Amino acid sequence: MDYDLLVRRGRVVDGSGLPSFIADVGVKDGKIAEVGKLKGSAARTIDADGLAVSPGFIDHHTHLDAQLLWDPYGTCEPQHGITTVVMGNCGLTLAPVKNGDEDALVKSFVRVEAIPRFALEEGVKWGWHSYGEYLDNFEGKVGINVGGLVGHIAVRHNAMGEQAVERKATGKEVQHMRSLVLESMEGGALGISTNRNERHMREDGKPVASRLADDEELFALCDVLAERNGGVIETILGRNKIEHFEFYRVLAERTQRPILWQSLQHRWTEPNLWREQLDAVEPIFRAGYQAYGLSHTVPLVRHFELKNCQVFDEFPTWKNLMFLPVEVRKQAFADPETRQKLRADLADPRPTNFHRRWDIVRVEKCVKPENQKYNGKSIAELAIMRNQDPLDAFLDLSLEEDLGTVFWNANNGGDSNAMGEILRSPYVLVGTSDAGAHVQFGADFGYGTILLGLWVRERQVMTLEQAIHKLTFHVASIFGLQGRGLLRPGYAADLAIFNPATVNSHEPEWANDYPAGSKRLIQRSEGIHYTIVNGTVIHEDGRMSGELPGHVIRGPLYRQQKAAA
Amino acid sequence: MGVSYIPVARVGELAAGATKEIDLGGRQVLLAFVEGKYFAFSRQCPHEEADLKTGTLEGGKIRCTNHNYCFDLQTGECVLPKGGPPLTVLPAEERGEDVCIRLEW
Repeated sequence: MDYDLLVRRGRVVDGSGLPSFIADVGVKDGKIAEVGKLKGSAARTIDADGLAVSPGFIDHHTHLDAQLLWDPYGTCEPQHGITTVVMGNCGLTLAPVKNGDEDALVKSFVRVEAIPRFALEEGVKWGWHSYGEYLDNFEGKVGINVGGLVGHIAVRHNAMGEQAVERKATGKEVQHMRSLVLESMEGGALGISTNRNERHMREDGKPVASRLADDEELFALCDVLAERNGGVIETILGRNKIEHFEFYRVLAERTQRPILWQSLQHRWTEPNLWREQLDAVEPIFRAGYQAYGLSHTVPLVRHFELKNCQVFDEFPTWKNLMFLPVEVRKQAFADPETRQKLRADLADPRPTNFHRRWDIVRVEKCVKPENQKYNGKSIAELAIMRNQDPLDAFLDLSLEEDLGTVFWNANNGGDSNAMGEILRSPYVLVGTSDAGAHVQFGADFGYGTILLGLWVRERQVMTLEQAIHKLTFHVASIFGLQGRGLLRPGYAADLAIFNPATVNSHEPEWANDYPAGSKRLIQRSEGIHYTIVNGTVIHEDGRMSGELPGHVIRGPLYRQQKAAA
Repeated sequence: MGVSYIPVARVGELAAGATKEIDLGGRQVLLAFVEGKYFAFSRQCPHEEADLKTGTLEGGKIRCTNHNYCFDLQTGECVLPKGGPPLTVLPAEERGEDVCIRLEW
């Protein structure tokens, strides 16, 4: 056989951002052998006529450190075309670890990443010490490729024990931490992650260990990567502030390593912050240094009726009305004096999460046949159609429908122009799936399928080629994932085959597939027909093959060591 | 405009440190009796929507068992971690034989 796998007549979107083209893709020994009009024989042929064929997506921001120990696919990553994941973000990793320190790491994971303690206790079978030994656990046992950053929190606990959450490190302890970072990098870490988020605590209320580190300590650890010329530095500093960019600049210039910072999003309550952030990061890149902002593709949407609604809890009069019996509430909504109070509530200039913009809130579904014409209209548009003030239009429509009208609101990610500029920016790294974290609250495995479905197909803020580049080679380049992220001969045969006309994400749903029978949210996809890892089909139209072709992707210092040996 | 006092329990019905589940206009609320005072608040933790019925009362605060977020029951302020999303709280008071939620609009 000429090929192990031949993908015929797909539209190849190769990850470079260049225009797509119709071609066959021949796969041999886990790698892409040829791309073009191919005539050879193959053990298996996939007809991709009408479908897009791209490199598999690379999810660079996950917390699958624990889940991959019991779930070799990091479900639902492959269902969304993801073939490679990076774990160990936000300072949190399960290595390096000393005997007896395991629970200190669990305490941080449980709280910061909201993973149920009993799932971690049941699912994580400790037994490693170094980061390299931890990665060894995945060799031959994963369905997708996996790499990881070493977490500052684990490093600090290893060097300082419980003092890590109490005080500044001594010079000797910093030296110990540097040796642990070096050992971890040589063991295969792709970089280091740290966490200074003021909201990130352990289960016992103590700050996560990395929050106690001063700049001197953090820079000393990051210098290890600079000295050996490899790896990325991932950071989370907490609330987004423009002052943070001086820190990113200093760190980027000092280390000359790619800095990743969180995060850059469009929020209606801070509608210009994303632009200020892009303006602030541009000089760093212009000066020749790298500081990529992480952004998300998933709008935070809430669907609500005035029968049962929390959207307005920040406004005292609105809040009180929402707890009244429905009949009393209806009378209050109809009362002109109460409306004045509701109007005054919304006019109060104090900061709130709700943006108070009637051009953003939409009518999603009306109850009455005669009101169906309002479906999909913003409240501002509704007001014009009804020749009313927006607040009156909003309340009157809802009252006509016995408070049963369904409304739609997004506090962030709703503005197509802003999202287009953010997602297209070369300084922005797309994807903050947080896969493996917050498992009972949300599921954003579909950040890539939402990028392709919502932002490419529906809103047309970027081309398919640009989006695929962002999901693949852009990430591989920054993280130094050699031989991945492009659909070119010699590259790993990590492929996603999907229908651009249907690709999308489903709403998250509950599943009971976590250890100890604990439930979590999963997310299915639409339009992803095949996910192929190192030449092996692992996902085909919703079914998993059971095969485990994933590789452990070890970083640059590991490769340096190996080359030297 | 108006004020409603909605009776949600009888005085003496709740033992010290006890809570009662209440449906208030379709919203799920907990009434707690702590250190001689009544507190009413949304059952849903504003952090990640866990049920505060399983939370721990600590004086005038409630700690969510999911991720240990802690809220002041008088003001709703998230006290741990500082600056976290606030809990929705409602004023509760004794009126004769009843414990009532006071809703003003």
